Amino acid sequence: MMDLLYVELKRTWIQFIRYPAEVIAGLIITTSVFYGLFLSARYMAGPSFAFGDRLDAVVVGYVLWTLNLYIINDIAIGLQSEAQTGTLEQVFLSPFGAPRVFLARAVASLALRFTLLVGIVLLLMGLSGSRLSFPITLIFPFLSLVMAGYGFAFMMGACALVFKRVQQILGIFQFLLLFLLAAPFEESTGIMQSLRFLLPMIPSTGLLRDLMARDIGLDWATYGLALLNGIAYLAVGLFVFRWAERMAKKRGSLSGY
Amino acid sequence: MQLAHRLDSERPVEPIRDSIVLATRDLTKTYGRGKQRFEAVKHVSLTLHRGEVLAFLGPNGAGKTTTIKMIAGLVRPDRGQVTVAGADPHRRPSALRHIGAVLEGNRNLYWRLTPEENLEYFGVLRQVPRKIAHRRGLELLDRFELLDKRQTPVQKLSRGMQQKLAIAVALIHNPQLLLLDEPTLGLDVEAGETVKALVRQIAQEGRAILLTTHQLDVAEELSDRVAIIRRGRIIAEQSTESLLKEFSDSAYQLEVEGTLTAQQHQKVTQLGGRVDGSHITYAGTPPNLYALLGALHPLPLVSVQRDRADLTQVFLKLVKDTQDSAS
Repeated sequence: MMDLLYVELKRTWIQFIRYPAEVIAGLIITTSVFYGLFLSARYMAGPSFAFGDRLDAVVVGYVLWTLNLYIINDIAIGLQSEAQTGTLEQVFLSPFGAPRVFLARAVASLALRFTLLVGIVLLLMGLSGSRLSFPITLIFPFLSLVMAGYGFAFMMGACALVFKRVQQILGIFQFLLLFLLAAPFEESTGIMQSLRFLLPMIPSTGLLRDLMARDIGLDWATYGLALLNGIAYLAVGLFVFRWAERMAKKRGSLSGY
Repeated sequence: MQLAHRLDSERPVEPIRDSIVLATRDLTKTYGRGKQRFEAVKHVSLTLHRGEVLAFLGPNGAGKTTTIKMIAGLVRPDRGQVTVAGADPHRRPSALRHIGAVLEGNRNLYWRLTPEENLEYFGVLRQVPRKIAHRRGLELLDRFELLDKRQTPVQKLSRGMQQKLAIAVALIHNPQLLLLDEPTLGLDVEAGETVKALVRQIAQEGRAILLTTHQLDVAEELSDRVAIIRRGRIIAEQSTESLLKEFSDSAYQLEVEGTLTAQQHQKVTQLGGRVDGSHITYAGTPPNLYALLGALHPLPLVSVQRDRADLTQVFLKLVKDTQDSAS
């Protein structure tokens, strides 16, 4: 399995480095979009309005949205592009089984994306004047967030396997995700305070905002629920993906696009 | 295992069970529902032994690719069973270790990666330890005469080189069964010949090869056995040699230099020959053939050839006959 992870990392890196223009363009667009949003918000709020903690929370929300958008699209777009280029069936010929191969791919592409993300965060902090903190405990809610994100990625991958063309779903999902990640559900009251633990990724994003923007330490009890949330969504994602794989093999449509 | 060439000896009808690499039993696949429903493959049973090349032939849409994909575990059969090296790839993914495949219409390779990187990647994907995959990859590149291109991105290689590399990648995990779907399609003459030579070598190593192609001369040249599928059903399956013999008649074609005298003409006709200028067609008994050759003395002989069907004729006849009997 370590060998698989290594070659997936190598493959991802090589494919990135041989044609870096498309990734760099993506980085510039991501950063510019944020800067545009930031300038618009400042214009509407007026020059005297102090964003303070809220600005930092918005930066965290935006960065997490960018990352999750990438994660969630990752498997579905990968499947579609490999079905088009004609390598998908070779991947499904692996004795490891498709879920393990795609999980290794997910880890590999996340590693690369994460490195790029650090660059985006630093750029955003420079552009917006936001000051975020990076305590070591950040890694825990980040992990549970990524698990839930990949759960959704496997579900989208499953859609790509069964329905083939999923651009529309992915497009709509972007906005749903923006709402989920940018809205501070952790500050909600009443029934939403409990329900938010059932929503995908929400408990983890709340904790990340606490750690990075509000300088609040990690609440381990809340983290336990966030971890459960991550594990549950990942398990459901893998289960749905396996079902979709069986369905595609039954329909004989694995490589179709 | 070194194997005798098919022309040197006929294979035993029922070889020892241990040598069976692929066995499919009653494979059936139906697509669609209601009025759209059609049976793509019906009760297909095939057996393939070590070192054997089976040409799996059929018109477009006959069910070849569906069968190959069912064997590779990529399409799930509705009924029937696939066994590769004793295991069912649909139930045990470890059975996929014994299968290598080059699938038609697919690139089969990552074009941004070099041959060396592709071989290492797919080796690990097939559960070969990374270092061994790398070493084996270099050996295969050397053997397939691609060593000097090992660091060139695949997209910059010629079509022939890409196809050779796809076959090398399919062999990286040392599989017992190689599935080749149209391996010579779109290749120029030289590249086609190279791929054919490689297929022969691979079979001689003891691997079983299931080959589909529309180029029937390629099938005739490479295969030990032929299975012809039409509308999802196998309509013929036997050794290539015996199939060709069955469809060949016993007539001889002779060609002489110059023209026959009136006396020679009469003698040849008496023996059952038909003269057409310097060409003679003879469909009589073998002893009379020598008498006919004697009658032609002293005219120089250009050629004596027994009529032999080629696979294209056999294929067309079989496919047409079943079409006629079905209508």
